[in-house]
Amino acid sequence: MGLLRISWRNLWRNRRRTAITMAAVALNAIILITTYSLMDGMLRQTVLNATELVTGEAQIHSPGYLSDRSIYKTLENPQAILQTLREQSISAAPRAYGYGLVSRGTKSAGALFWGVQPEREKTTFDLPTHLAEGSFLSPNPQKGIVLGKKLARSLNARLGAEIVLLVQAADGSLGNELFTVTGILKSVGEGIDRNAAIIHLEDYRHLFVLPAGVHEIAVNTGGRVSLDKLSAILPRLVPDSEVKTWRQLLPALSDMLQLSGASMSLFGAIFFAAAGLGVMNTMLMTTYERSHEFGLLKALGTSPWRIVRDVAFEAWLMAAVSTVFAVILGVAATLALQEYGLDTSALAGETTIAGVVFDPVWRAALSIEAVAAPVVIMWIVCVLAALYPAAMSARLDPVKSMHRV
Amino acid sequence: MNDYIRKIISGKRKVGSKHVHSFGRRAILIFLPLAIFILLGAHPVRGETLTADDILNKVDDLYRGTSSYGMMTMEVVTAHWKRTLSLEFWSKGKDKSLIRILSPLKEKGTATLRAGNEIWNYLPKVNRVIKLPSSMMSASWMGSHFTNDDLVKESRFTDDYSCQITFQGPRKGENIIELSCIPKPDAPVVWGKVAIDVRHSDYLPIVMHYYDEKLRPARDMTFSQFKKMSGRTLPAVLTLVPIDKPQEKTVVIYDKITFDLSLNDDVFSIRNLQK
Repeated sequence: MGLLRISWRNLWRNRRRTAITMAAVALNAIILITTYSLMDGMLRQTVLNATELVTGEAQIHSPGYLSDRSIYKTLENPQAILQTLREQSISAAPRAYGYGLVSRGTKSAGALFWGVQPEREKTTFDLPTHLAEGSFLSPNPQKGIVLGKKLARSLNARLGAEIVLLVQAADGSLGNELFTVTGILKSVGEGIDRNAAIIHLEDYRHLFVLPAGVHEIAVNTGGRVSLDKLSAILPRLVPDSEVKTWRQLLPALSDMLQLSGASMSLFGAIFFAAAGLGVMNTMLMTTYERSHEFGLLKALGTSPWRIVRDVAFEAWLMAAVSTVFAVILGVAATLALQEYGLDTSALAGETTIAGVVFDPVWRAALSIEAVAAPVVIMWIVCVLAALYPAAMSARLDPVKSMHRV
Repeated sequence: MNDYIRKIISGKRKVGSKHVHSFGRRAILIFLPLAIFILLGAHPVRGETLTADDILNKVDDLYRGTSSYGMMTMEVVTAHWKRTLSLEFWSKGKDKSLIRILSPLKEKGTATLRAGNEIWNYLPKVNRVIKLPSSMMSASWMGSHFTNDDLVKESRFTDDYSCQITFQGPRKGENIIELSCIPKPDAPVVWGKVAIDVRHSDYLPIVMHYYDEKLRPARDMTFSQFKKMSGRTLPAVLTLVPIDKPQEKTVVIYDKITFDLSLNDDVFSIRNLQK
């Protein structure tokens, strides 16, 4: 184990320089670990917001429904479909949609009505708990209505307010009813905030004269079934339907996530390059100082390959020691960010990107990859950066280099 | 209604406002009895050569300051349902009208009041009056192929459109004059072009073709069953067909119409709307 001892001793020949380089490598690794964890946290939170809240991991519609949202394009027999999904332990909620008018006093606004089964929404999605005020619909149809945040504001509707619903029913007649506001949603996304009016599916059937069928079955397994598997089995379980995953339903969000992944890689590359240059500089200096020593080693018959190996090992050792500190500090910082998060509300308030709300408290998510990737890549970068000085040393002419001393 | 509301919500359609006027929509006003009266009341002076604007202005001038009362039947046919409504209507001046549904039973008593640029609906079932938001102006009226804005239009169409006589002579067995109207620059209108065929003999309209901004045909309104009602010759039947859904249509049949009554302004009040 002479190599380790020699390398270790060599590293500390110039303590200050090595310490500074190690600090730089460690700092880079800490930044990368925490940044990756923060990004990972945001991506996970975004996907959760996108899927758990209301969209689901996948949705089943009647073919063509998504392109024109015709009230007549229904999935017949939703109960049978839900039963089939339950047998596969896939949680899902049926929804029927229809456009119409909501009015209170002299205020009125266009709305998209959702007919939902409150119990199923509660067990499958987070939307029923995502309320700014009041409560979600009761399990029995009682002509209660939950309004999107901006819709409620534009109607000046508080909890308990009486709202007139006016719709064109499926049979062409005018459906109109009085409903009572039971809840107002927190911000979800522009579309839902501005026009969602959620009512009980039975109330919906009465209002829209749609005795059977729903327009959407939203599936949410909480990540237990992968997207690929869902998009493979759902069409088989529900024939004559159109199955879309959230990546297809929210393409802007999906693209954004991929883009942020790419920008993270770019960001990481810059940090790795900076760390690599620091290591290269240190190794160039140390090898230059020791050129007489390498000359002597070569004169004694040491092979150039061995010199390369020694120098590269020194670089790795430096990286390894740095990353030990980096992992300790980086994981500690990440755990703190996971626990307390960054409160960005002062900067941005509640942010919506691609129709998905971002929690103003930005939390990191610690994962093995987010720690291991920067560490391993940092090692590789350090060793690669040392190869140039190592090769320089290995190619020294023994006579010249010893003469110079 | 669903189509229109959806378009409004999704922002795919221009949101109607009181500033958005169009001859096209306004021309549809014709389905309101008083507008019809205008068109029909245009008695041509024999031997006089009228320009396109003369013909249309006559219509406009005659339109102003009149009143009417009557009953009509509206048949709406869509791909998914067909229904017939019996309606009673009153109108006064250029900006007041009231339409009340007599049947079917489910909607009986439902009424629409138009006062100036505002539209109010009374819903007897819930006993509430609701004001139509301006964003709903281009939504369907009572499920028909007419829009709420069609009810509201009041500016002169010669202000918004340049009209020319583009054809004179026999067409489909009738001696007609074809007027082509193109919106003037900056005119706040939704149609790209409106072509109107009127009878040469009495300038009564036969058909109106509406084109969208890209000059694609959008809807056709056909006038038929010309007969004498309340001392005037009128087309008793109006048929509106959307070009993109040729199997759908709205037919308005005038069963009874009376002109120039003395109607109190109270008829067109929100209080009366609820009766």
